[in-house]
Amino acid sequence: MKTFHLNILAAAVSALLLSACGDAETTIVERAPVENEADYNHGDDHQHDDSYEIKSAGRLAVLTAGGDEALIYDLDDASLLDSFTLSNASSTLSSSAGFRYAVINNRAADQVEFIDSGLWREDHGEHLHDYKQAPDLSGYKVSGSRPTHLVKHDEQLAIFYDGNSDTGEAASVQVLTDADIANQTENLPALNYSVNMHGVAEPHADHLFASVRRDDSLSTSANKVLPDQVAVYHLHDDEYEQEHIFLQTCPDLHGAAQNEAYQVYGCSDGVLVTYQADGAYASAKIDNIDALDGLRVGSIYGHHEQGSFIGVASQHGGGSAVLVQIEAGEQEMQAIDWQPQVDAHPVAYSFSAGGEHFLILDNLGYLTLLSAHQHDDHSHWQFETRIDISEQDIADMPEGLSFEMTVSQNDDLVFIADPIAQHILQIDLETAEVVRDIELNFAPAALTWLGIVDD
Amino acid sequence: MYYKKQLAVAIAALFPLVSAASEIDGTVLNVQGKPVAGAFVEVEGKSQSVKTDKNGQFTLSELEPGMTKLHIFADGFAHLHQQLQLPESGLDNYLVRLNRSAIEVIDVVSAPVHMSVMESAIPVNVISGESLRRRQASTLGDSLEKLAGVNTNYHGGVASTPIIRGLSGPRVLITQNGLDVGDVSRVGPDHSVAAEASTATQIEVLRGPATLFYGSGAIGGVVNVIDGRVPVDNATRGEWNLETSSVNDKKQASFNLTSGRDSVAVYLDGYWRESDDYQVPVAPDADSNAQGDDFTVENSAEKSNGLTLGASYLLDQGYLGFSVEQFNREYGVPGHSHGGENEEHEHEEHDEDNHAEESVLADLEQTRIQVMGELALDYQWFNKLTIRAAMTDYEHAEIEGGSVGTVFENSTEELRADLHHNEFAGWQGGISLHYKNTEISATGSEAFTPPTQAQTLAMALMEEKHIDDVLFSFGVRAEQVKLSADRVFLPHLGLHQHHEQATDEHEHHAHTDAEHTQVLDFTQVYDVEHTFTPVSLSAGLVWDFVEHYNLGISVSRSQRAPSASELLSFGPHIGTRSYEVGALFTLHQHEDESHFELNQAAIALETSNNIDLTLRKTQGDLGFVFNVFYNRVDNFYYQAATGLFAEVSHQHGESGHAHEEEHAHDEHASELPVYLFQSDDVILTGFEAQVAWQINDEFKASAFSDYVRAKLQDGGDLPRTPPLRLGTQFSYQNEQLSAHLDITRYQEQDKVSGFETTTAGYTLVDVQVAYDLSLLNQDTALYLKINNLTDEAARVHTSFLKDLTPRPGRNITAGIRGYF
Repeated sequence: MKTFHLNILAAAVSALLLSACGDAETTIVERAPVENEADYNHGDDHQHDDSYEIKSAGRLAVLTAGGDEALIYDLDDASLLDSFTLSNASSTLSSSAGFRYAVINNRAADQVEFIDSGLWREDHGEHLHDYKQAPDLSGYKVSGSRPTHLVKHDEQLAIFYDGNSDTGEAASVQVLTDADIANQTENLPALNYSVNMHGVAEPHADHLFASVRRDDSLSTSANKVLPDQVAVYHLHDDEYEQEHIFLQTCPDLHGAAQNEAYQVYGCSDGVLVTYQADGAYASAKIDNIDALDGLRVGSIYGHHEQGSFIGVASQHGGGSAVLVQIEAGEQEMQAIDWQPQVDAHPVAYSFSAGGEHFLILDNLGYLTLLSAHQHDDHSHWQFETRIDISEQDIADMPEGLSFEMTVSQNDDLVFIADPIAQHILQIDLETAEVVRDIELNFAPAALTWLGIVDD
Repeated sequence: MYYKKQLAVAIAALFPLVSAASEIDGTVLNVQGKPVAGAFVEVEGKSQSVKTDKNGQFTLSELEPGMTKLHIFADGFAHLHQQLQLPESGLDNYLVRLNRSAIEVIDVVSAPVHMSVMESAIPVNVISGESLRRRQASTLGDSLEKLAGVNTNYHGGVASTPIIRGLSGPRVLITQNGLDVGDVSRVGPDHSVAAEASTATQIEVLRGPATLFYGSGAIGGVVNVIDGRVPVDNATRGEWNLETSSVNDKKQASFNLTSGRDSVAVYLDGYWRESDDYQVPVAPDADSNAQGDDFTVENSAEKSNGLTLGASYLLDQGYLGFSVEQFNREYGVPGHSHGGENEEHEHEEHDEDNHAEESVLADLEQTRIQVMGELALDYQWFNKLTIRAAMTDYEHAEIEGGSVGTVFENSTEELRADLHHNEFAGWQGGISLHYKNTEISATGSEAFTPPTQAQTLAMALMEEKHIDDVLFSFGVRAEQVKLSADRVFLPHLGLHQHHEQATDEHEHHAHTDAEHTQVLDFTQVYDVEHTFTPVSLSAGLVWDFVEHYNLGISVSRSQRAPSASELLSFGPHIGTRSYEVGALFTLHQHEDESHFELNQAAIALETSNNIDLTLRKTQGDLGFVFNVFYNRVDNFYYQAATGLFAEVSHQHGESGHAHEEEHAHDEHASELPVYLFQSDDVILTGFEAQVAWQINDEFKASAFSDYVRAKLQDGGDLPRTPPLRLGTQFSYQNEQLSAHLDITRYQEQDKVSGFETTTAGYTLVDVQVAYDLSLLNQDTALYLKINNLTDEAARVHTSFLKDLTPRPGRNITAGIRGYF
């Protein structure tokens, strides 16, 4: 009886109200599909161990000679994936700390831009999750006065902005991770100086080892725009605050590198070493050796797998170079005989991905491989082999360009861009052979490897 | 004529010494003729209000002469509406008599029309004061579960959401001071509600469709948590509470404080709570045969705290204020990888790897800024404007084995303005404008719904009018809901069927190789935009057909736009242990192979056609409220099992190589049942009954019962529907001592959906004693509570975790509470 009554009422109400309108509209636009991030179906054996991981040789970002276009190549099939027009012409291309992004530094435009390679890895707790997507020019840009030295260490990238004495802009540092670029983080951890300088900063977890320019009346630098001291800064709420300043000076500081234990800096009177001992900060100075022949170490290379650093001393603006091996722990420096050819001027240096090799690319079109050998508990860097990477007349090198190289971070490979032949050579460092040639239809100005680092 | 009166008032305002306004001096008495202190006398449709002194006397001044409506109410008494012709000379010795009400009557605040348990056409529950404090629990659903028509979806004591007349999730809107609470509790049962009962002053529940007042998300009802965070006066007062409980070693402290001077009022509240895993009288896992008396539900600990600061500027005609709240909660998610209605499929595998489970923690954080204001207007058409706005930033990370698995974010901005008009041909009411913008995203392994923006713009009109003994009310609301997601993914999913039928619970271990479909190596991506225009209409009346009795009828047609998770989901949802696929997609069967593709059918609005009948006895020592309802919901969105299973590599507790061997024999460890959102017509019917008898000044007995039947029109029951309940309460109260005994019986639920099991009935007994100390001239009370006195093993049918997290065992709580 009750139900019957309710039903009649329901019918009455429905009739009364159904005339009211209510509308729904759906618009669906199909977009370009994305490649699957992982293979969903891994057979019937239910192996879960590497189900989210992607095997990929990675991608290459290449800058054109004009510097206003960046192209992304897929190394799995040597195909061009996409090209991007940059907001400003640049010739400085490098990778982000996690090798997901190409970093384009426009010093003159006071700006750094990023291109997402589309390849990256996330740690999802119980598994590592790899992603493979189309490359994309990130809308994210960071800016500051004269970004110059970009230093990577352990997932962090420190951008040193030199500042500009003409405009009265002071130097500063910003530190960012790949996640910051992905999330377009607005407030990056930063260090702001009160003066301009041509300096350098080494990120180290929550700390930052950064150069300090003192008042010109106190500075021991001959060129006052170069700093002569180093301080440690600690991150508090997006701001680095000075925690310690090393009193040992480093006149005309230029060039720095770090490994897990030491930070080293090139000075006109030697190499400054900073480190932590028993919880306190300490420093030491390695004096210049005679083999430097009056030059000073102005660039330093380090690798986390290697205890030794390699320092380069060369004439300002290029020229022949003296390479030294720096043992920060022993506070020793010794020359490396890299057996240079006459008039060979190095244009690029790099450690191989695993740190077993040190590579020197020169203007004559040769790639010199150094390797470390163990002698009585000491590794000793020496010449291993030299590969001729160009059959061209080097006199045809277009003005302002040079050979460039980048190393793969998940294979023992180096890629060399040749602006004369307009191609990229892929060289297997194990066999010292050219294994592939990627043809270009433009002169490359710079290149950098991007992808998922093989841990 | 009207214009002239306005002019007169305006001139009067210019000459404050010349009193052209009238005054009422009066006394409020009870039926025995004794004065009632602390009764409120309000002028309806105006912001004027006074409280009676200890002699029951009050004075209302600066009133406009003419027809005036007064609303008089006090604790323990029935509300009274009086209409009178106020002469210019004013009234002296105006006597008001209030009748006792055995059922507590509290007005719903901030609604343009008058609503309370006794007076409105639609059913409401309001709890505040002592009864709120007695009921408050760590989670919102558990705090409200003993209200008629309200159940909890009890999620292991750490998260719970109220179920109103069998509906929950995206159909029950949770609001905080009238604005969306802005969390992700509507998306998953394991997500806690970002509102706190211990600092609230009042909680209102609107049972049944309330889209008219609150919009699309309120088709099943609304829970509005109210506190004084934006103070409307600056009388110094406050409340504090310290409490500890035995069952989970809970410690809790909370306070709220309002003060100020001159035109400034300030407010501060805070709470802090910490609890351990709670004890249960039986082994938590329903399939376990373990004996003993020392069981706990693992990973059910909680830690939370919150702080709210508010301030207002008090004007002669109203106020304007703001508040800032920071809310933090960290809780374990018990049985995280087990929950869900597919339990039957999982037990045998899971018994083996229970111990390898890594616990899942949820860490939520919310910042909420609210602006509220009210202004009395003196215009020809409008007399009051209320404005409420909120900006909420919510983040909730699920931490699995120490690292962040999924992060849910919700950023909501909302603005509501209600404009109350002057009485027009006897009609009172107002129009409401409402805007809400919500951006929800989930990133990580459990990101089953793509980032979505939902924008709502709505306009509503609500009116009521007394004609003789009948109060008529009606309302209409039109809304536009725009849902946009620019990257909706349709991956190609490895799907397979089990050889045995899914309903065969006991033999599934026998099945052999799964049939895998081929996998294409790309994911389709869509840019999706939905625009919905839900319209809601409601009409009702309350007829005082005999003195002290009334009859309420409410009919409504309400519409709801389906939510993003119901439409756009595509991925594993670990909280419900299912692979969820939204209604935007449909399953395509081609010979032996099945795959998902875009649904070509139109996405329809969910439409509820609801009738409520209410019979009440409003005054006297015996009071009752009986409700029956019939609710037919067309295009009710729900998850239906597809019988298919999806390969998912996401594994909890997968910690390395040793594990592979453990799993080697276990064919289904990495798959989830696929549930597809689809819509069907559903009929919900049920009743609620509340009876209270004030035996004498000290003793009172009350009882309630509720029931809902939820079935598909084409046959079949909806899952997790609350069973029939019966509850009684006996209470004793004198000046110093109060005691309450609650006995609540939950009947067996055997009306279950396809993959559900029945749940046995149980009886819970709770007692509470409070003693008033009146320390330092303050109202201070010591209290002792024992919940589940008989240590009854009870499983909650409405819980996703019913077979894993029984209710707590006997729990002794001691505390002290003070008011000043």
